[in-house]
Formats: sequence, C-alpha cells, structure tokens
Amino acid sequence: MFEQDDETVERVIQHLRRPMVMDPGLDARVMREIARVPSPKRRARLLLPLLAVAAVLATVLIVARPWSWNRASKTDVLQFVLVAPQAASVTLVGDFNDWDPVRSPMQTAHGVWATVVRLAPGRYRYAFLVNGVEWRADPSAPAAKDDEFGTPSSVVTVGGRGS
Amino acid sequence: MGIDRVEPSDAELVRRVRAGDTVAYGALVSRYRDRLGRFAVHMIGDREDAEEALQDSFVRAYRSLARCDDPARFGAWLYGILVNRCRTTGARAARRRRMFVHDAHALDGAAHADQSDRLDWTDAVDRALARLAPDYREAFLLKHVEDLEYGEIAELTGAGVSALKMRVKRAREQLQKYLREAEHV
Repeated sequence: MFEQDDETVERVIQHLRRPMVMDPGLDARVMREIARVPSPKRRARLLLPLLAVAAVLATVLIVARPWSWNRASKTDVLQFVLVAPQAASVTLVGDFNDWDPVRSPMQTAHGVWATVVRLAPGRYRYAFLVNGVEWRADPSAPAAKDDEFGTPSSVVTVGGRGS
Repeated sequence: MGIDRVEPSDAELVRRVRAGDTVAYGALVSRYRDRLGRFAVHMIGDREDAEEALQDSFVRAYRSLARCDDPARFGAWLYGILVNRCRTTGARAARRRRMFVHDAHALDGAAHADQSDRLDWTDAVDRALARLAPDYREAFLLKHVEDLEYGEIAELTGAGVSALKMRVKRAREQLQKYLREAEHV
C-alpha cells in the first residue's frame, strides 16, 4: 500500500504541506477580541491622565508656593519643585546649605523633582543644579539680581522679610 | 506596465498597529492565518482546538506587540507564541486522555481495533503523526512542513540544534515504522 522508508516520509511531507484553509471567521473573532484590548497607543493614552495629575500637582506647588504659607512660625518647611523630565539628577543649592550639591538632593516622580528643607526667617538665594553641571534658576520665583557668581539663581524670603 | 500592488511588509503593518491602526492587525491575521493554522492542526490533531490556539496566539501577540523586537520578523515571533500555545493545548489534551484511559495496553488495543477499519492515506498519516512524541512531532513539522531552518527552530523552541536534528531523525524513523504497520493491517 505504501512506499517504504525515505520515499514514504517524503510523501508524508508533501501531504502535510498541502495548503490548509482555516475558518475565515477566525479573523473577525480575533478582531473582536483585540477591540477589548487597549492598543499600544490607547495604553499610552491611559497613562496621560497620570502625567496630567503630576503636572497639575507641580503647577499647584509652583504657583501656590507653599513655602510662603507658614510665615508666622520661627522656621518654615519649604518644598522646592522643578519640572525637568529629561534630567537624570537635580540638587537644590543655596545660601542655606552653603551651595553644597550633596546636602539637598531632589527626588523625582514623572519628571517632577522636589525636596523639602526647613529654613529660619530670612532671605535666601538658591538655584537648582541639573545633572551636576547645569545651573537653573527657579522659573516660578524672583530672580536674584545680586548674584556674584554669574550663574542664574532665585530668591526666597521666609518669615515676611522682603527680598 | 500597469499597476503593481505592493503588499505592505510585516514591519510596516506592525508599525501601523503600534501607532493605533487596529485594522492593520487584521491584515497580519489574514496573512498568517492559514499557514499557522496548518501547523496548529497538525500539531494538536484537532481542528477546533487548533483554531482556538491560533486565535489565542493572535490575541496574545497583539497584547505583547511592544515586545516584538524585530517587526520585520513578526512571522517568526508569532510562530514562537503559537508553538508555546500548542504545547499547552497538547499537555492539557494529554491530561484529559489520561483521565479516561489509565491502561496503556487498553489504549494500544483500541488503536489496533481502529486500524482494522479501512485506512486511507490521510487517516494513516494523521494517526502516525499523532503517535509521535510531541517534541518529535513539533520538530518534524517545523523542519519539513513549515520549512524552517534548524537555527530558527532552535530560537522558537529553546532546544539545541543537535537535539532538534535527533528529534527530526527519530520522527522520520517512527513515521516510517507506523506507516509500515498501517500498511500491513
């Protein structure tokens, strides 16, 4: 009935290689299934609200400037915020930490960098050091006009004494 | 002369899907449905289970499309997903069979009884293929029917090339044996 050995196997192979037509309805079933799955782009869109919340929070912190809320107290707790999504590191430097880039590292969440420091009443110049090399003033604070170092810096006043 | 219709490449279709064009995925499904379906039917031995495995593989591939490192090789990547899915289905089917038949000799006896029926070539091939160990059947189909290189099969299955060559050789020997047996029934 059947040829022997390799010839038999070759015949099996040719038999199995015949084109096979699957149920074309399978396409529709697959497409219905994936319609329930967020597409790669839709998944990215789902992340946008989270990023928007982070951005709104950052804006509130910058505009409301919570470090000016507790002026009555002897020391104020201030939160400094910088939006820098591309940065690998940001540190806060100023008069209050002797411009030491090690003492006030900032933490990030979705590109929003923040750190908290406690300051006695007074006027302080400060800046952000991005990636260890780039000096940036605080875009939401007054610029320091008396900075002798030639790099951008800002001014914050604690306890009601003016800048 | 005339208008040449150029089908978009796999890479182009994958790019469109990633950009949110779900319809482009339909083109990929249509492109690979029959070829992958043939492998699934031969591998699983049951058309309905094979279609379920194929459908599930397409959906899994869509969910994981971001992990397809080389969109130009979407087909090979999809094969990998289907191979795994067929293994799962095969293992489940084997467990199901064990639940009903606990006596291997009884199973052999049933097979011989079946063989007393008149066999045509298709039946004989299907039965011989079904009697191969799953890893032999998988290697044989990928090498000789789907025409993949041993290196590609190694990538899909995780087995070494020499192990695969051995499996294909054993599969060929066993197919010959099983078909000779069928011939003499």
